[in-house]
Amino acid sequence: MKPSRSRSVRNGHVVVGACAALVVLLFALLPRPAAAIPLFNRQTGQNCVACHAGGQFPELTNYGRLFKLTGYTLGVRTLPVSVMALASLSKVADTSKSDDPGADFQKNDKPILAGASVFLGGRVTDNIGAFTQFTWDPYAITTDSGKFKGTFTADNMDLRYADRVVDERHDLIFGLSVNNNPSVSDPWNTAAAWMQYVPVPSPTSSRFIDGASPYPGLSAGGNIAGLDAYVFVDQLVYLEAGEYRSARGAFSFMKAGLKAADLTRLRGNNPYLRVALSQNWGAHSLMLGATHMTARVYDDPLDTSDPQSVHRFRDAILDAQYQYLLDPHAVTVQFVSAHSRHAYPAAQVGLPAAFVDASGNALAPTSASDKTDLLRAKLSYTYQARYGASVALFSLTGTTNTGNQTSGYDPLTLTITSSASAGAASTRVGGNLSGNPATRGMTYEAFWMPIQNLRVGLQYTSYEKYNGARDNYDGFGRNASDNNSLFLYAWTAY
Amino acid sequence: MKILNAPLARLCAAAVAATALCAGCANPERSRDLGNPAVSGPVLARQACSLCHGVTGVAGSPNFPNLAAQTPQYLAAQLGEFRAHSRRDPAGFEYMWGISRRLTDAQIEGLAAYYAAQAPARQLPAGDAAQVEAGRVLFTQGAPERGIPACAGCHGDQGQGMATFPRLAGQHADYVVKQLRVFQRSDDRPDGAVMKVVSHNLTAQDVANAAAYVQGL
Repeated sequence: MKPSRSRSVRNGHVVVGACAALVVLLFALLPRPAAAIPLFNRQTGQNCVACHAGGQFPELTNYGRLFKLTGYTLGVRTLPVSVMALASLSKVADTSKSDDPGADFQKNDKPILAGASVFLGGRVTDNIGAFTQFTWDPYAITTDSGKFKGTFTADNMDLRYADRVVDERHDLIFGLSVNNNPSVSDPWNTAAAWMQYVPVPSPTSSRFIDGASPYPGLSAGGNIAGLDAYVFVDQLVYLEAGEYRSARGAFSFMKAGLKAADLTRLRGNNPYLRVALSQNWGAHSLMLGATHMTARVYDDPLDTSDPQSVHRFRDAILDAQYQYLLDPHAVTVQFVSAHSRHAYPAAQVGLPAAFVDASGNALAPTSASDKTDLLRAKLSYTYQARYGASVALFSLTGTTNTGNQTSGYDPLTLTITSSASAGAASTRVGGNLSGNPATRGMTYEAFWMPIQNLRVGLQYTSYEKYNGARDNYDGFGRNASDNNSLFLYAWTAY
Repeated sequence: MKILNAPLARLCAAAVAATALCAGCANPERSRDLGNPAVSGPVLARQACSLCHGVTGVAGSPNFPNLAAQTPQYLAAQLGEFRAHSRRDPAGFEYMWGISRRLTDAQIEGLAAYYAAQAPARQLPAGDAAQVEAGRVLFTQGAPERGIPACAGCHGDQGQGMATFPRLAGQHADYVVKQLRVFQRSDDRPDGAVMKVVSHNLTAQDVANAAAYVQGL
């Protein structure tokens, strides 16, 4: 049976490849102005390059930033729906260092329909507009039997009221955003919610691609409910302040589709603050910014009865973005430095470590808090909004904590084992032997957009360090470079 | 009830209520509605067009032309051409077709008058002295031996424009270069057919020189 299955997989590759080539060819033959257009394009009537730098989504141009900050209200009311779909294939360098490669790398080297989104939004009135996204992820959940199960959930949500008072001397944009993810309201692509290579399939299907590597994130996470007020003064100074809490009651739609166990439950109100300075001159645009958020996240989303059972996160992020946009060139440099402090609930502090050292001695007890620092930078270039390339680096460092070890010596057998019968079973492939989060690497990408609705990209992510070590990071001999991953994708939106 | 008592929920409820109240409201004095004839040309200029062309028609980015002090006849003609899709150079259809698709004649007139009344853009020339001087000669005298007329003949001795012949003074050199290429290499601007003949013999250096010069006018 095995040879026949692998032949069918190969045949599948050929069929999918041929179909993809045909689709690409057909799209390439379409005249550009006649291409179908997504929601915001229909609303403004403009091409994607008006709002997105060189057509790279989601990075915004100055025009795109102002379009967003004025509440998505520029244009004419239109059919408020768009759809997006992603097909991809990821291939990790080494799948042999696993006692169950079939489970650890289930979709490796197989073309998949990786996900799809529906967008609802656009202009509602002169002052009200929205951007909402619902995403279908066919690989969101791995069941006990090892099968994937899909989910359809609320993704990004940003509902706005905005106004602009502008004359020859002053320009004041101000508004309110009700959203479900801190910084999703931000107009710059270095904000935590937007600093990413897009598209990103589910990590469970493509576990070591760039989308699964460390990114600056606000620890409160998504699918919560927040209200932010913002002002943009003379297109120079941007201030935003808001509060976030659990998405409940009238705001339950912010977490639509998510199971209770997968939710972020916040204790009380959690403040978010954003400051940015922006300057445009000629074809150049520069932004320097800072973000701060504190969040109290319940340890168990299913049990919020104990107010002490919360993780306290303090995130401080500095970011900068430079753009040079002059047709047919688009150059972007992005830089983010994120510092995060994580204080654990008292009940999780000072506990004996689950693992022991090679001689059977106890390890240090679990820490009261962790600190992490993440540096992320990216340089990208696109030509004619059609051909693009980029290089990015990521470097995560942090404190060592035995509480974060997911691999180690089993106190019963003094071996590193993934056996379920062990006193402390270790995790293969994704395991962390050191208790340190250090992960460092580079991502390279080249893409082609035959038309503005279709992007085909090839990405390569290489790891110098993973889960605190260059070699044998999981205790089973897996090295960081074994996770180097190739990622091929075709993305389309209408 | 517990949720309704939460300050955030109260604020959000207020926001939602305000949203509901405003749902039917138009705000034509500060509207970005490109499909509402009640929104005047100057309001559209400030609220929508300014995103690329600047509030006073001085575009920060050379990707977009300066419109300040442009002749109203040229502005109105171009907006009409965009609206009718007869001007179809890439920058035209990518950025302007959609923006102009629902404009009324009155809005176009209002926009043209708004920009025509603005103080002109002042920029430094875009090249070195020799290049600017070569551009000046071409602009003021043309190159009769190559069949190239003086630009000043139609665009004014100071590049100030005349009726449907656009103002070139203070225009971004990059924009002038790109548009001259459009005239030379395509029929994407049929209203500028005369420029196809005029620019036929311009070399790339001529184009760069002339553009460098007019930017500083």
